[in-house]
Amino acid sequence: MRAIYIALNEVRLYLRDKGDLAFSLLLPIVTVALVYAAFGGETRFEGDAYVVDEDNGLYSNILIDQLEAVDGVDVELLTASEADAKLDNSDVLLVLFIPENFSEDLKSGEPTHLLFKQRGNAGDEGQIVRSIIQGVVSEINKEFTVRSQVAEIVQDRGITQDQIENNVQELLAEERARPLVGVNEEVLGGSSDFETQFLPGIVTMYVLFAVSMTARIIVEERRNGTLERLLSTRLSVGQLFLGKFLANMSRGFVQTLILLVLSYIVFQMFTPLTFLQSLVIALLFTAAVSAIGLIIASIAHSEEGASWIAVVFSVICFMFGGTFFQVAKDSAFYSISRISINTYANDAFDTILTGGGSLANVSTDLLVLVGVTVVGLMISRYLFRIVAGGK
Amino acid sequence: MAEDFLVATDLHKSFHDFKAVNGVSFSIAKGEIFGLLGPNGAGKTTTIRMLSTVLEADSGEIIIGGHSVRKKAESVRALIGVCPQELALYEDLSAMENLIFFGRMDGLNTRDARAQAEEYLKLMGLQDRAKGRVAKFSGGMKRRINLAIALMGNPQLVFMDEPTVGIDPQSRNRIYETIEGLQSKGMTILYTTHYMEEADRLCDRIAIMDGGKIIAMDTPRALKAQLGDSEKATLEDVFLNLTGRSLRD
Ligand SMILES: Nc1ncnc2c1ncn2[C@@H]1O[C@H](COP(=O)(O)OP(=O)(O)O)[C@@H](O)[C@H]1O
Ligand SMILES: [Mg+2]
Repeated sequence: MRAIYIALNEVRLYLRDKGDLAFSLLLPIVTVALVYAAFGGETRFEGDAYVVDEDNGLYSNILIDQLEAVDGVDVELLTASEADAKLDNSDVLLVLFIPENFSEDLKSGEPTHLLFKQRGNAGDEGQIVRSIIQGVVSEINKEFTVRSQVAEIVQDRGITQDQIENNVQELLAEERARPLVGVNEEVLGGSSDFETQFLPGIVTMYVLFAVSMTARIIVEERRNGTLERLLSTRLSVGQLFLGKFLANMSRGFVQTLILLVLSYIVFQMFTPLTFLQSLVIALLFTAAVSAIGLIIASIAHSEEGASWIAVVFSVICFMFGGTFFQVAKDSAFYSISRISINTYANDAFDTILTGGGSLANVSTDLLVLVGVTVVGLMISRYLFRIVAGGK
Repeated sequence: MAEDFLVATDLHKSFHDFKAVNGVSFSIAKGEIFGLLGPNGAGKTTTIRMLSTVLEADSGEIIIGGHSVRKKAESVRALIGVCPQELALYEDLSAMENLIFFGRMDGLNTRDARAQAEEYLKLMGLQDRAKGRVAKFSGGMKRRINLAIALMGNPQLVFMDEPTVGIDPQSRNRIYETIEGLQSKGMTILYTTHYMEEADRLCDRIAIMDGGKIIAMDTPRALKAQLGDSEKATLEDVFLNLTGRSLRD
């Protein structure tokens, strides 16, 4: 119970210090803004496909749906007159017109034509959108050919048009989900999804900086004289450390929470599930790091001393922890990286965000973090007894 | 003489090779105000830190309220309050918040902590400033808060390490009155100072410390009598006579 009061008091002091508060809340916001400015939106093509649908029939709808399903393409529907006006003003450089009897003609087997109206060479975006549309159309073409050939083959066997349609749709859907010739991406000299790879690194970096915050708290109390006062009350050293630990863990976690929520909104890099899982990882990591911060706090006798030890510790963790580059599994560096606490957090984030794994897949990493927390708390308390005894 | 509430026997404490406290023994009776006098560096604060369980003695024994400080520090902490020489409070909190926080650390529930905080703020003449941030207080006000915190939890024995150092006469006088009031309620007090007239006014008995040792211990009157003329002699004379006239830093 006294530990809770210690923690609440710590939080209250923290909230009173407006500068500190503003700084720690702004930090995650600035970080996300910087990452966004540096990498946001550039890694994938994103464009608008302007479409005038004069048919508004079954097949024009299928076409539009499939376009919409293409990653990075947004379909904007316009009326013919709007489209012409926008083309005139160069507001829009490329518009796809679907003619009035597009669906009728297709159904009756008549050839039909889509029309691209474009201004000049339609611009880079227009050209890309056009090839995407052409890809979708040729897909639909092929599907239509398959469908009509199937219909022709089975025409005298008393099978209804609906049955054919259903079967063909089913087969096509299956093919789309598991294509015979698939396309995989391998990106060289960068990542296809920068944020997913880098934000976890930033999260861990951040939390490591919190080490220096934690490292200073006991020294601060020592300098204030309040530490000695606390030690002459009925508060035990264990309660004191637990309280400090809880307060610092919460502070670090709130920062990380802001960072993750912003990343969620800005980069859409989470699903609700991976978000929750990432929070769990962040919480356990913050706990482990706070416990390590307390070890430093219990042996440091000046604020500079505490900060220095914390900085050295953090730098070592960055270097060995694979925060900014991947450590290959078979390198000698890999075993060294195991001593760095953020390796485990990075691994866990990586598995959840890019590897499609769940918390169960990273239970070893999480266990290490919990272990470090418990052992760290015990060590810090023990060291405090020894060191404080001499002073 | 009433029973002894505190008994310290042959205390030693060295920092590296330097003997800060070198064989100190004394006892304090229940309800007594005991003065520890001495020039800077005499070892007064070090002695108080050992008595108040925050610093472990190299050797010697301390019994407070029947409990050994070495073996039963927890029980001792429940009996004592400490007013440290250096201010020990949270400048960013209000006076009230400081008192309630430390009251809780001494095991009071919120209601009792609040009631006692109000009582002691009033005693210190600070009831109107209860909600004010300590950082904005004058030196004398901070000193009074520092002392009020020591009283939270109604300890039976309070250590006051130079509680009046560097403050205005009004604050100082308020502190004297408070201490006299506390004694009349049966509180035992260990008081350190290097102001002689202060010790003369407040203390039932005085130990004079120098170089880590107690060099004289008696009532103020008896100490003055040692100089011959107890009517004309001041404690100042006793002090300078015993500790010499060379400057201390
Ligand atoms: N933590 C410490 N480390 C080293 N020396 C100390 C420490 N605390 C006190 N001393 C030394 O011990 C001596 C006694 O100090 P102190 O008990 O504070 O004296 P007083 O309170 O009587 O002025 C001084 O010379 C002081 O420098
Ligand atoms: Mg002193």
